[in-house]
Amino acid sequence: MQSLTTMQKLLHVSPILAAAIWALVLLLLHVFSAEKRRTFLGHLSLVALGTVGVLELYLMRRVGADAQLLFSGRVIVDAFAVQVGLIVTAGAFITLLLSPSYLERHEIDFGEYYPLVLFSLAGMLIISSAADLMVMVIGIETMSLPIYALCGSWRRKTASTREEASMEASFKYFLMGSFSTAITLYGVALVYGATGTTLFADLSVLGNAAAGKGLLLIGIALLIGGLGFKIAAVPFHMWTPDVYEGAPTPITGFMAAAVKTAAFAAVLRAFTAGFGARDLAFGTSGWTSLLALVAAITMILGNLAALRQQNVKRMLAYSSIAHAGYILIGVIAAATPELSAEARSGVLFYLWAYTFTTVGAFGVVAWMGSKDDRERTNVEDWNGLAEERPGMALAMTIFLLSLAGVPPTAGFFGKLLLFKAAIGNSGLIWLVVLGLVASVVSVYYYLRIVVAMYFKEASAETGELKPLPGGAPYVAVALATTAVLLIGVLPGRLWGYAARAIMGF
Amino acid sequence: MILTAIVFLPLLAALVTMLLPKEDKVLLRNFGVASTSLIFLFSLLLLWKFDGRVGGMQPSLSVNLAWLQSLGIRYQMGVDGISLFLVLLTTFLTPIAILGAGGSVTKRHREFVAAMLVLETGMLGAFVALDMVLFYVFWELMLVPMYLLIGIWGGERRIYAAIKFVIYTMVGSVLMLVAIIYLYLRFHELTGQWTFSLLEWNRMVLTPKEQLLCFGAFALSFAIKVPIFPLHTWLPDAHVEAPTPGSVILAGVLLKMGTYGILRFAMPLFPYAATKLAPYLAILGIVGIIYGALLAYAQKDAKKLIAYSSISHLGFVILGLMSLTIQGTQGAIYIMIAHGITSAGLFLGFGILYDRRHTRLMSEYGGIWKVMPTYSALYMIIMLGSVGLPGLCGFIGEFLVLLGAYDHQAFVAFQSGPVMLSHPKLMTSIAALGVIFSALYLLVMFQRIFFGPVKHEVNQDLPDATGVELGALVPLVVLVFVLGLVPSPLLRRMEPSVKLHLAQFVAKQKASEEIAKADIRKAFVLPRAVLDAAALKDPSGMKAHKMQKGKKFPELGMRRGRSARTRGTTPVDHPQGPAVNEAAGAREPSRQGRRGARGAAQPGGAPQPFNTITPMDLPRGLRLGQKRRLEQEVRYQKRPPLDPKAAQGGR
Repeated sequence: MQSLTTMQKLLHVSPILAAAIWALVLLLLHVFSAEKRRTFLGHLSLVALGTVGVLELYLMRRVGADAQLLFSGRVIVDAFAVQVGLIVTAGAFITLLLSPSYLERHEIDFGEYYPLVLFSLAGMLIISSAADLMVMVIGIETMSLPIYALCGSWRRKTASTREEASMEASFKYFLMGSFSTAITLYGVALVYGATGTTLFADLSVLGNAAAGKGLLLIGIALLIGGLGFKIAAVPFHMWTPDVYEGAPTPITGFMAAAVKTAAFAAVLRAFTAGFGARDLAFGTSGWTSLLALVAAITMILGNLAALRQQNVKRMLAYSSIAHAGYILIGVIAAATPELSAEARSGVLFYLWAYTFTTVGAFGVVAWMGSKDDRERTNVEDWNGLAEERPGMALAMTIFLLSLAGVPPTAGFFGKLLLFKAAIGNSGLIWLVVLGLVASVVSVYYYLRIVVAMYFKEASAETGELKPLPGGAPYVAVALATTAVLLIGVLPGRLWGYAARAIMGF
Repeated sequence: MILTAIVFLPLLAALVTMLLPKEDKVLLRNFGVASTSLIFLFSLLLLWKFDGRVGGMQPSLSVNLAWLQSLGIRYQMGVDGISLFLVLLTTFLTPIAILGAGGSVTKRHREFVAAMLVLETGMLGAFVALDMVLFYVFWELMLVPMYLLIGIWGGERRIYAAIKFVIYTMVGSVLMLVAIIYLYLRFHELTGQWTFSLLEWNRMVLTPKEQLLCFGAFALSFAIKVPIFPLHTWLPDAHVEAPTPGSVILAGVLLKMGTYGILRFAMPLFPYAATKLAPYLAILGIVGIIYGALLAYAQKDAKKLIAYSSISHLGFVILGLMSLTIQGTQGAIYIMIAHGITSAGLFLGFGILYDRRHTRLMSEYGGIWKVMPTYSALYMIIMLGSVGLPGLCGFIGEFLVLLGAYDHQAFVAFQSGPVMLSHPKLMTSIAALGVIFSALYLLVMFQRIFFGPVKHEVNQDLPDATGVELGALVPLVVLVFVLGLVPSPLLRRMEPSVKLHLAQFVAKQKASEEIAKADIRKAFVLPRAVLDAAALKDPSGMKAHKMQKGKKFPELGMRRGRSARTRGTTPVDHPQGPAVNEAAGAREPSRQGRRGARGAAQPGGAPQPFNTITPMDLPRGLRLGQKRRLEQEVRYQKRPPLDPKAAQGGR
């Protein structure tokens, strides 16, 4: 590996820098802009995301199949990092496309909204490139702190219950997030104590021979707990429904898609690159058995709890919990050395599919607008939507089918590729079968929204539809729909990218 | 190209409907009927291009393009004598179903036509897909429009029925997905090749345990769709609640998807399991025949009656498939077609009545013949076709199935295939009762609705069938006659494919038996030549029959529990033992010698079309581990054609 000049190093982390610098610029502009011109900030933030995206694409070509270690090996820029960066940028893009008209419709005056999303994005990009546990934790914190604030961004001139819900979400998420950070850090400390290093590259070598294996395993268990909060895996999921419900809907979509993607990038790096050593991962006291247990109860509980929800946002929150369970199967499969590359690619592909689907689904929820000072998030609010707005109903149906894994949508190939990788390890077949059965259960609650949209008639109670103003929400939903269908019908290209996005080590 | 066009033209038409005005019912219906009729006419091209002498997939009609190439998922489609008529049935029934929608679809006309068109694409695709992922995509694609058809335009309990339908189907299909992925990985393990192609997978012979598990997953999925007793409970609900066109397509085509799946996928892929489980499935089929008939007889609701009659009729299809005879299989396919016509006709016909009176209770009718004579006459013909009156379409298939099942042993011996049904004559006799029952319940239904005095005032002046309704009914009536009087055009085209199907089934079944007997835990892949040879050699099994004349059919007895010692004594038993993998390897003279010695001992000296080396050739007394290793090696060697002399010399 040739040593790089400072400029080259900066070039390799340019997406992170771009996101952070743009965030600062927007923050400054916000201070000096009049209230009415806040929408302009939204448009500018799209340009910012465009910049980040272009830089990522440039890096993708530049890095190719190589990995570039920077800053004493603590940051790695490889195809995997770039691709995770692209996923979260795409998720942020669709979110921010929706946001201006959402903020306008609900008269939310929160100008820091756009810079905070960009700061959070910078955190996600750091996570994707982290080659060290400490860098990972820094990334997670950079990502999470703006999100805490964004959850509470439902601020209006007149106080309402909706505002309280938003505050509650913010506070709850903040508290829970702080706990999880503490747990993660404790885990990192134990891992460091056991091995004397926090670098993934060293951990993967040391893991096998570590003297204090017990200590190491406790550290890993704590990390599962800490990261479990971020990916919303059961039993660390308690905050999810409330926070998802209380946060402004575009932010909910952002959390469910991008935050989860970044958190999974961390999990994948830490567990398959860092703690991927065979006797550490498998065997009687290996961490995969713990993770398998977490995956199993996550799938079961997430889906069962979603069955009972009356609120679409809560339902999708539980569904996102369930999806964390599915993806965890891929993470466990990725710990099997012979399946590693394939399973990682499977997880990446799933994250692509899941991100577009989730952002799209929450986009439609956001688009639904409001009714007597509350968002139209109850299932009954969707009654008869297919008659009034067939296009939006169709888009939502496609997203829901994709979440359920029904072809020809992205979700189907996501599940297929993920589970295909996992079945290769015969010890995981039970998880795959469980995952598929769970996804049948999920069909039931996804279909409830379809039932409302298509089979029920709009009644007086449903009230007049007041969707978000402007064309941007339609563009956002159309983008997500196109992506979901395109991945579902022609998955070859994307799978090619995902298959090439191997980790540097 | 033709297949691609046929499959995707409906989807294209569905996109076009999106451009049409939303509530212009007449225009939308006309467009739907016109486009699907054109697609039907276009699909007749298949008949013209179809070479009736060729068994298996028609080379001129096959499509095989890259789709997700890096995983071996291909856009592979083909049509053979088994699927040809199911494709035509689908394209034929769709315009009729749209035409027959009548008053049952009163809202959202654009969505209705679009759903029917998307449904058609799904069904056609599932019938012609040869790549398992492609098949699964189409299989699930059918689900969504059918769900909407039941849920939007259905009766009072439509939401319950729609969700029940989807959940039942999904439960089956996800298990099938697991099995598909498992087979995919297994095939790669055995050959180093990543593919989802059914034609490739057909060469794979799995161990008995694997076969039973995978067959279970596949069969469950298909059995739910058929539906086989006791998985049928979704069917009456779905049928009763679905609007007329939904019922027509559901009964006419979707149910056949299950039996087609068993025939196309479950049986060829897992012959051992199919053979072992055939008696049970056949019994379930017979239970379905009788149970469906009895339930149908007990119904007051005409639509429910017709729904239960489907369960009864599809029981015959299962029995026919499980009889594993040419007659039974052909009969089963014939019933699929005939039942597609008659059940569609019965639902459509009753839909006409329902549109006028909006009740499904038979007691609300009576004396309809006096009021609507033309309609009643047409309905009677369809009803008699469903009963299985000789000369009408229902008869041929049921006759063939009963024939095939009754003489199961003789026919099977004739084909040197496995015997599966234990008391075929008794079972067939019970099944034949179903024919009588079907006459009973359908005639009773007909009598209650059409004969006698006009019991209710409202029925006094019901208008007779309109031109549109006649337009939907008459083609069905014509086909009821045509299929009943001239079955040979269909049977002739089916025959080579059915024979091929059975010959390959038998060849693979024997290979599986070898594994079962030898208690090997390893699966293997037959060289491509084996299945081809099985087909070319003697599809009817005639030669094998002659060869073994007077030998009292040694392979007839089920030799499940035979010990290893007796294995070598009847070499005919395993002419197609675990054959070697094609995937390269060097020859090894020492073991070849052993095999050659065995090969020379084969009676009749019939040259084997492929290289055989069975685990039994290995010297006894080897330690278990050694034996395993040898077996494994043997299986991965590519062997030159059998040449006893050279082999002897090598020794």
